[in-house]
Amino acid sequence: MNVWQLLIESFPRIILPGLAMTVPLTIFAFALALVIAVITAVIVYADVPVLAYIARIYIWMIRGTPLLVQLMVGYYGPSAFGIKPNGFVVAVIVFAINEGAYCAETIRGCMEGVSKGQLEAGYCVGLSYPKIMIHVILPQAFRAAFPALFNSMISMVKDTSLASNITVTEMFLATRQIAGRTYQFLPLYLEVAFIYLMFSTILELIQRRGEKRLGRYDRDVAGS
Amino acid sequence: MTETLLEVKNLHKTFDHAEVLKGVSLSVMPGEVVAIVGPSGAGKTTLLRCLNMLERADAGELVFDGEHYDPAGFGRREASKLHKKTGFVFQDYNLFANKTAMENVTLGLTSGRGMNRHKAEEIAAEMLRKVGMEEKSDRFPLHLSGGQQQRVAIARALAADPKIIYFDEPTSALDPELTGEVLEVIRKLKDSGITMMIVTHELSFARDVSTRMIFMEEGSIIEEGNTREFFADPKNERTRAFIGMNVDGTEKEEQ
Repeated sequence: MNVWQLLIESFPRIILPGLAMTVPLTIFAFALALVIAVITAVIVYADVPVLAYIARIYIWMIRGTPLLVQLMVGYYGPSAFGIKPNGFVVAVIVFAINEGAYCAETIRGCMEGVSKGQLEAGYCVGLSYPKIMIHVILPQAFRAAFPALFNSMISMVKDTSLASNITVTEMFLATRQIAGRTYQFLPLYLEVAFIYLMFSTILELIQRRGEKRLGRYDRDVAGS
Repeated sequence: MTETLLEVKNLHKTFDHAEVLKGVSLSVMPGEVVAIVGPSGAGKTTLLRCLNMLERADAGELVFDGEHYDPAGFGRREASKLHKKTGFVFQDYNLFANKTAMENVTLGLTSGRGMNRHKAEEIAAEMLRKVGMEEKSDRFPLHLSGGQQQRVAIARALAADPKIIYFDEPTSALDPELTGEVLEVIRKLKDSGITMMIVTHELSFARDVSTRMIFMEEGSIIEEGNTREFFADPKNERTRAFIGMNVDGTEKEEQ
């Protein structure tokens, strides 16, 4: 079997785990990460007693330890209590917790960047603090954070290859298995690199569209 | 009804060892238009911000519309109660950047006061008409000039039918050619009888629009009085110097 034939035959066997594992893992984990990030960012921004302290410890610990180690702890931790965890579920949770810490800082930074006057104006028209967060501060912060958040998401697509270490048969593990049988390491790794690139490119296109839509209020209207 | 609308007593405020307000007391009757003037650093803006609980004073008493507030120790709920009765126009407009002109006016009505959307938009349209901005109601602040933004900000402050509107140097951030349209809007408001308190550097405008003048310097009220007398016959030497320095030029060309 020549190399080209191998690449063509292996393509579906790599991209299928990609569609079945890598993509859902990224989507679920990132969605959950955003929820964690917004809650954490608001808690730190508003300096909620006790909770802000806990949030800072969470960010500190997650950013200060390797993702691979976090995955291992997440996978083998439950075993200590006699629970055999599902690798995919652990991966979603660990990726979400990890990404949540980074995105929380991204969002909080952008919230700090929204001028204090916006908050004061909100008070003056009779809005409560939570309403100002929801209608004024968070939408503006989210707009500013959008490129950085997509950056994180694209990063995560590739980081999901680490989940192969906890039995999740995603694209990279599938590739490794084929390479192990055929000894065609370089062509197959280049092939999987190409597939990661495809996924990332799709995200970049979505990012560009999203930015255009969100840009209504802080870009000049075309032609005006 | 001649009950005092606003009464503040002995307001003190210190920022990093600088005493900005040294026991300011004043009262405002409904329908009055009070202009506060004075040199930079006199404490005018701080006074206005303390009156509307955007700034915590160190000490003092505040009675607004018959209710007591604690300008030094208020919490969010107390401030919110006051904010439902007042309007505030900022020097740098502070329109919500992610909302259109229309949404800027409706947001406080719908989300702050639970008014239904349809009613809020009706009111907002009327307010925007009042300030001459009805045709730009779907524009975002970034696509409006400073003067237009400030007019929308005035519409926003008016929308909830406040008992008083505070203006904090409403034209100081504007290019000279844009101040006129904003001052004109405020002038028109005066005719509608709404109570206003205006911190301004535009002395000739203050004379034109106010019923009473307050002159502040170094954290204290130096002189206050009926606008006509204030300009015709200032009692205090420093007031006289301030008026002389700031009005002389413009006075001649206006008459």
